[in-house]
Amino acid sequence: MTPRRAITSVSVPVLLSGCSDVQSALAPMGPDASRIFTLAGILFAGAAVVMLIVLAALWIAMRGSPDARRGLATDRAVIVGGIAFPTVTLIALLGYGVWVMRANITPVDAAAVQIEVVGEQWWWRVVYRDAEGRRIESANEIRIPVGREVEFRLTSADVIHSFWVPNLAGKLDMFPGRTTTLRLSADRPGVYRGQCAEYCGGAHALMAMEVVAVPEADFAVWLATEAMPAPAPVGETDKRGQTLFLAAGCGACHAIRGTSANGVIGPDLTRVGARRFIAAATLPTSRETLARVIVDGQHIKPGNGMPPFRIFSPGELDALSGYLAGLK
Amino acid sequence: MGWPGLLGSLAGLAAAGLCVVLLVAWSGIYNVSASRGHWPLVELLLRFGMENSVEAHAPDIVPPRLDDPDLVRLGAAHFHTGCAYCHGAPGSPMSAIARHMLPPPPELTDRVDPWSDQELFWIVKHGFKYTGMPAWTTQERDDEVWALVAFLRHLPRLDPLTYRELALGDVMTERQDGRAIAMTTSGADEACARCHGTEGKGPLSDLVPRLHGQPAAMLERALRAYASGERPSGIMKPIATALSPRAKQQVADYYASLAVPPPRTQAEASEAGRRLATEGDATAEIPACLSCHDAQALAIYPRLAGQNAPYMANQLRALQRGSGEGSATRAIMAPIARRLSERQIVELSAWFASLPATP
Repeated sequence: MTPRRAITSVSVPVLLSGCSDVQSALAPMGPDASRIFTLAGILFAGAAVVMLIVLAALWIAMRGSPDARRGLATDRAVIVGGIAFPTVTLIALLGYGVWVMRANITPVDAAAVQIEVVGEQWWWRVVYRDAEGRRIESANEIRIPVGREVEFRLTSADVIHSFWVPNLAGKLDMFPGRTTTLRLSADRPGVYRGQCAEYCGGAHALMAMEVVAVPEADFAVWLATEAMPAPAPVGETDKRGQTLFLAAGCGACHAIRGTSANGVIGPDLTRVGARRFIAAATLPTSRETLARVIVDGQHIKPGNGMPPFRIFSPGELDALSGYLAGLK
Repeated sequence: MGWPGLLGSLAGLAAAGLCVVLLVAWSGIYNVSASRGHWPLVELLLRFGMENSVEAHAPDIVPPRLDDPDLVRLGAAHFHTGCAYCHGAPGSPMSAIARHMLPPPPELTDRVDPWSDQELFWIVKHGFKYTGMPAWTTQERDDEVWALVAFLRHLPRLDPLTYRELALGDVMTERQDGRAIAMTTSGADEACARCHGTEGKGPLSDLVPRLHGQPAAMLERALRAYASGERPSGIMKPIATALSPRAKQQVADYYASLAVPPPRTQAEASEAGRRLATEGDATAEIPACLSCHDAQALAIYPRLAGQNAPYMANQLRALQRGSGEGSATRAIMAPIARRLSERQIVELSAWFASLPATP
């Protein structure tokens, strides 16, 4: 068997359990996730060795020769195998674990990209800062530059959530009234799905997000665009959509920068049309899914804070969702 | 004879009894005519059962302040719509036709006092089986039922003039000429103005909304929602049901065109109410009220500036209970109303009531 085939035959069953690299800690895409992957590998391998030793001891205890059984029953065997071995192994593992996680306790790299993420039932408020420290708010999709250290400052607006993008880093809880810090970086461009990893209420399973890693130059361009006010509607239908958005009171909860809509209760919609997904990575962004969320969001995500807006005619709904889909 | 034998005989007796009852019903011997009345003994037994049933079922709840003039006026107006035809009212005798129902509906003047507030509430809300007394048209609006109970408590002491003033307000009740009497099918009894006022005059009860200058689209939708039951109201449903689609539109246009009269009472506005209405409270996920309730909002949303505070507070409480969530606009408001505390409801209602109305 070639080494390549050996690797395949071992890794295939493992990969099958996840069926893909999407949202998988077994497919590390950054140094932090790689370290965790290695740590996990060592832990599993070590546990397997310990398991074999225990099984062997068990076999000796039942079927071994009288000499071997007597040897197993001595004080020395208990002290070495039952006290010394676990103590040494666990201390070594702890030391290794701390060493692996050292990135989380070392001082912040001043050049790290700072992103604030607030967990809310059931979506993610994402805040970037530009060079002058101005807030640039978005939601549910996080852009990061490839190869740069990114520092996430995590908190929660309501209950405990947990920020977990398995391909990039370990999970870290988000607490109301407290800020926790998670650092990670991505080795190569890609879309990495993340998920709230702490049960946070009925729609917890639908609280996902995507981290989109792009080359650094692209990130700068993207952030500059993101900081700008929303594009003005062009065409009669989009203008009608904007008028409806404002008159129907959507702006009480949602902000669209550049308009009078400045609500801070729900996700910022300034560039909602440019995000790949809506409703916290639940539905792909399109005119149709936006319309569904407006009319029937309680069916998509029961218990979420947005009331159903069943007040629009089909034409009005089309104009409104078209306007939102066009916010890029 | 042991237990099995006894049980068997009892079962046989019950079966025989059932056969006799079926035979009597099938034969048609029993006379169901209302013209003959009940035997005195049956009458006595029915009455005994009814009184005990009411006593047993009346809920053990604390009534609101029943001497509140707003509540009494609202109850009086609905009494005139829904009750006076059968029970009569001060100055207008009961209908001769209703008088020949079995049992005949009682004149209420001296029949109200023996009942407790809770018993009256139960009777008004649930009605009586096998009589002409209907239940309240919705079981979701206890606040309205209490208005009628409040009025019933005043009824025994009312003279015809005070009654007309309470129930009809300024509505013209004397038709102008013979032709008008001959040609008109619905008169003052269904007039909106009895409760909601008319040109230059707002509602006489602060529990009744001021419709003047509201968007016609909102008023028309509300009438449709009342008629369909999407928005439950025992007071508005009979009236909205009686209006044709065209009449709904016309009356909505009429009130939309009216200038807003000055408020009857001056409300005390608080800073907290102003802040909540204009800015909302993001931590409690309460959006600013004015994002949907100012003059620029959709015409299917109500304007709240100058609205009666007791009415508005009452509606917010009804929304908290989920009353009328079948209506699309109320489905938007209900989850927001649930985020409000009772204190915030009072502050908001007072602040909006203190505003000059801006059409």
